[in-house]
Amino acid sequence: MIELLKPTRQTVLLRTNPAIKLVLFVALCLVTVLTRNIDFAAYQALTYTVLLFAFGGFPVRKTLLLVLPFGFLFVSSSMTMILFGKGDTLWWQWGLFRISEESFYRGLHLGFRSIAFAAEGLLFVSTTPSVKLFYALMQNFRLAPRFAYSFMASIRLLPMVWEEFLIRRQALQVRGITVRGKGLRGMAEHVRLYAVPLLSQSIRRAHRVAVAMEAKQFDGGGKRTYYYPSNVSWTDAAAVLLLALAPCAAYAAAVVFPWFGIADVRYHS
Amino acid sequence: MNHVLQAEKRKGLRLSDLLVTILLSLALGVVYHFWSSVYDLFKPLFFQADELVYGVWFLAPTLAMLLIRKPGVALLAEVAAAHVEILFGSEWGVQLVLYSVAQGLAAELVFALLRYRSFKMGTAAFAGAAAALGSFAVDVYFGYVTDYTLGMMLFKYVLRIISSAILAGYLAFALAKALEATGVTQLLRPVTQKDYEALDHD
Repeated sequence: MIELLKPTRQTVLLRTNPAIKLVLFVALCLVTVLTRNIDFAAYQALTYTVLLFAFGGFPVRKTLLLVLPFGFLFVSSSMTMILFGKGDTLWWQWGLFRISEESFYRGLHLGFRSIAFAAEGLLFVSTTPSVKLFYALMQNFRLAPRFAYSFMASIRLLPMVWEEFLIRRQALQVRGITVRGKGLRGMAEHVRLYAVPLLSQSIRRAHRVAVAMEAKQFDGGGKRTYYYPSNVSWTDAAAVLLLALAPCAAYAAAVVFPWFGIADVRYHS
Repeated sequence: MNHVLQAEKRKGLRLSDLLVTILLSLALGVVYHFWSSVYDLFKPLFFQADELVYGVWFLAPTLAMLLIRKPGVALLAEVAAAHVEILFGSEWGVQLVLYSVAQGLAAELVFALLRYRSFKMGTAAFAGAAAALGSFAVDVYFGYVTDYTLGMMLFKYVLRIISSAILAGYLAFALAKALEATGVTQLLRPVTQKDYEALDHD
């Protein structure tokens, strides 16, 4: 899974300092959170999806595959609001379902925003190897090394947990153990057979690795050197410009070519 | 003996606490990631039935806290679990960071109010329910859920809180108990002065 999401294309965003990029993406996320205008939300969804194709770390075909679930995401995040939202201009009512003009547009707005979030997230993940991110956070933002190295070591240990899961499953098969009971009881049985051994084994392993890392002073607070130096360069200025222009362009488009023309989708009685 | 006393003095998070918390949460994060499909399976059962399994997404903070029993662990656990989801390219994207911080903080708050001394089932259930309330707080701001019709909103969130108290509270407690029975928690909570004194009496 981690291998699958490894960036394969070189873009401006891939060369950007990951710590700076994280700040930029949190800022973009906040802009999206604060958006109340439906057109702005729609154009943000569009802009970030285009950016994902243009500057994401994956080839177009793979990006297309990742973008496909956006349609489902749109429906699932907008449907509840469309069917059950408050609103005065009633369009259709059947039992509990109640679609009004306001709730319909509010639902669409939520859908667009979900797509914007998803595209932002994918754009960040597809251009940021996590090891680089933690090295940059340690050097540029003074994240305590014990946090950063714990994360990096845990990510490396994760595939072992998966391997252990497969071994456990085979072991249970060899012993001819079948899960008794269906529904909730079956689920509890699954938890007992899998979760307890897997979790206890990962606690043991994490503890062993931690003891070794402590011995090698990975938790030390003193001065240290880093295998991957993390610098700030002109590429970062380009990335700042690109990611600042994107929401501005979306906003301009929303002002000049509005689709729906609703400035605030929240309910006002 | 001296060494033991020193270990007890250092109440902060040591590297091994961090590593155990994070690995545990990352493993649960993988469960979180695939839980979306279970969540979707529950959807057709009855309306908003998916909320019944929502509590699994708050499992990391309570379970980690019940095992490690140190301040800050619940918040760290939820953020670490969300990190996996983002790493795997979750469709929910960066908003998960906000959710995880709110949920983790809410669960942390319950343990903090009890001064990190109570690790009973009830406490875990309250922490799970608090995490659900944390997600509600973000939802209000984010998803305008107060703009749902009132009955609908109450139904949705009461289901979620119940599910969280059961899954993130009871299930986490049962898991922690089962893990204690295997003896691994002795690695996390080394012997204290009190244990030595208990031996001195006879």
